[in-house]
Amino acid sequence: MKKHWVARLGVLGLALSLLLGGFAAKPVNAASDDNTFKVGMEAGYAPFNWTQNTDANHAVKIQGSHEYANGYDVQIARKVAKALHKKVVVVKTSWDGLPPALTSGKIDAIIAGMSPTPDRRKTIDFTNPYYISNLTMVVRKDSKYAKAKSIADFKGAKVTAQLSTYHYQAINQIKGVVKEPAMNDFPAMRVALESGTIDGYVSEVPEGITAERANPNLMYIHFAKGQGFKTDASDTNLAIGLRKNDPNKAKINELLATISNKERARLMNEAVDNQPSTEKSGNWFMAIMKQYGPMLLRGTGMTLLLALVGTLVGFIIGLLVGIIRTIPKPKKLGQRGLRAVINWLLSLYIEVFRGTPMIVQAAVLYYGAAQAWHLNMDRTTAALLIVSINTGAYISEIIRGGIISVDEGQFEAASALGMTHLQTMMKVILPQAVRNSLPAVTNEFIVNIKDTSVLSVISVSELFFSGETIAGQSFQFFHTYLIVSGIYLIMTFTISRLFRLIEKHLDGPKDYNVMNNQMQVETPKIGTES
Amino acid sequence: MADEPLIQVKNLKKSFGNHEVLTDINFNVQAGEVVSIIGRSGSGKSTLLRNINLLETPTGGDILFHGKSILGEDVKLSTYRAKVGMVFQSFNLFNNMTVLQNVMVPQQTVLKRDAAAAKTHALELLKQVGMDPFIAAKPDQLSGGQEQRVAIARAEAMDPEVLLFDEPTSALDPEMVDDVLNTMTALAHTGLTMIIVTHEMAFARDVSDRVIFMNNGIIAESGTPDQIFGNPQQTATKEFLKRYLNRV
Repeated sequence: MKKHWVARLGVLGLALSLLLGGFAAKPVNAASDDNTFKVGMEAGYAPFNWTQNTDANHAVKIQGSHEYANGYDVQIARKVAKALHKKVVVVKTSWDGLPPALTSGKIDAIIAGMSPTPDRRKTIDFTNPYYISNLTMVVRKDSKYAKAKSIADFKGAKVTAQLSTYHYQAINQIKGVVKEPAMNDFPAMRVALESGTIDGYVSEVPEGITAERANPNLMYIHFAKGQGFKTDASDTNLAIGLRKNDPNKAKINELLATISNKERARLMNEAVDNQPSTEKSGNWFMAIMKQYGPMLLRGTGMTLLLALVGTLVGFIIGLLVGIIRTIPKPKKLGQRGLRAVINWLLSLYIEVFRGTPMIVQAAVLYYGAAQAWHLNMDRTTAALLIVSINTGAYISEIIRGGIISVDEGQFEAASALGMTHLQTMMKVILPQAVRNSLPAVTNEFIVNIKDTSVLSVISVSELFFSGETIAGQSFQFFHTYLIVSGIYLIMTFTISRLFRLIEKHLDGPKDYNVMNNQMQVETPKIGTES
Repeated sequence: MADEPLIQVKNLKKSFGNHEVLTDINFNVQAGEVVSIIGRSGSGKSTLLRNINLLETPTGGDILFHGKSILGEDVKLSTYRAKVGMVFQSFNLFNNMTVLQNVMVPQQTVLKRDAAAAKTHALELLKQVGMDPFIAAKPDQLSGGQEQRVAIARAEAMDPEVLLFDEPTSALDPEMVDDVLNTMTALAHTGLTMIIVTHEMAFARDVSDRVIFMNNGIIAESGTPDQIFGNPQQTATKEFLKRYLNRV
């Protein structure tokens, strides 16, 4: 079920990881060696998994955050961990980040409503199913399709399903159906269904139960036996993903065998009952803020931290690269060779980090390094490192432009006075180059605020990832993203204003009555001149 | 050796690509001498000056300072340049600094003077060039003549043994030229060694100890101002001077 993953990242990852070699990170043993059972999930896919603020209903703490995960998957994870005599830990990771997190040893298992498709089996192992979910159709209660018993009843209906899922392909089984373009997620489909854009969407039963409870206008169809969608076991089965040859696989299968179908149904109903839902009454803004305010605030904090540190460190990198790349040709042959090698390495750095997406860089550094050399680093550290290095590549070029734009005469005057290259740069050129580059650096800062959202791939809960989680479990797709975009705008607007103030300050007073300034400097007594 | 020339230029050649600007330049400058270099635009005057300061690297020949070559690998460029100051046609004041900082900062960074000493020295020199009321101004708030006077003070502040002037008044409005020339004249009378590339013939005649006339990358004629301006030997010199002296 759900989206296909990006195994392709791995290939590019390994290639790039050779270039990245030698990054600071202390070697740590793989996750499985200690006494915890680390489970990866999105924690935003109710009722299988979601994020909540308290530990109510046996929720499990999310690693490195103040939030808790709960849901059907979490309850299964607790049982598995208990059978393995380990402590369960939830690692909140975006869907695309789950497989690399598993293979690189950042997590021990994926319990995230994942189906054991043949494609996935190529890279990871799966246990026996821990849940079998059949397909259903979610419709409006007041529509003529509400009484459908067979998929044949949907002739002429406008139907859709989630993008890149087998749900969407299953629509082809309905004769004479109007197949609408696939949509990205359930909240969006619910909105489309309610507004009448579509007549129904194909999903699994848990989503059907959820939709019914979340929105009284919706219901899901109970197909008569043999009248429903024909499905493949590798699609409807949900299984636990493990690394290849995981010795615990047999033990986990043993445990799963003891959980009866009745027990599974009970767990699912419990999950659907416990899953967070936003009260429909009152002001929607206040409702979201009351329930998810802290989550949004933490997300905003993380986004700001990433953008601020990334831009600041990137700026320092940019300055250093600018200084080094403008060193004049030395006289000695050896020094000239060294200079050429360093310059070549620096251009390589800029080309690589400017020429590849940050999401790939993050995956390579965090997962690739762990996989290749068992370098294990904290995800926030990895995120800060990636944003900084990536921004550094861009700002290096910005600063280079700034240096070029400084008048040649400034260099000559400084050299003629006997200043060294470093002195010339620090005292004369960079102050002017930086002033010239400031608008472009502001741009970088703002881009960083928005683009760090890709770092959810290495489990960093910044603002967009938080928003995704909230939208996924509050089912208030539009409202949540409205609030999220508002927060982004406030941040970017404040920063652009702030930088304008800095620019103004650097430019000094626009006062041409220069004689007025003289008293700012006290004049010491000097002898009468000749 | 009291008689050893301060600067000796020997068989100096400079080409940019295939274009040979300086063909074969030989001349000496004694300590305390004021030498003016005159000639047409494109005759190589500025290139010669920039080679002496090593802003350009000579293609051939040698330059000696106190009898020692400055082209060797072991010569520390910054030390040499601090002793040979340069004043540019386009002033080149540091745009990010005030007038006072322009004169102070090079002393502090290159000569490692402490702030107090650098400031005292800077204020003294700025007062001499009449720029002391403007110490807090930024270069873009000044007129060209004012900028050039600050640039001269900045070069002087390094206590150089030689000052090179590369057409210091060519970028100035006529009414400002006199301010700068007066400053330079005063400087010449202090006994400082000066090499001046200029188009101001009257100034060259009145202030220089020696005048060098350059033509097509070589020194066509050199001598005292009286010889060059009063009794030029070469036809090129005569033609060149005729045009200028008619205006003076």
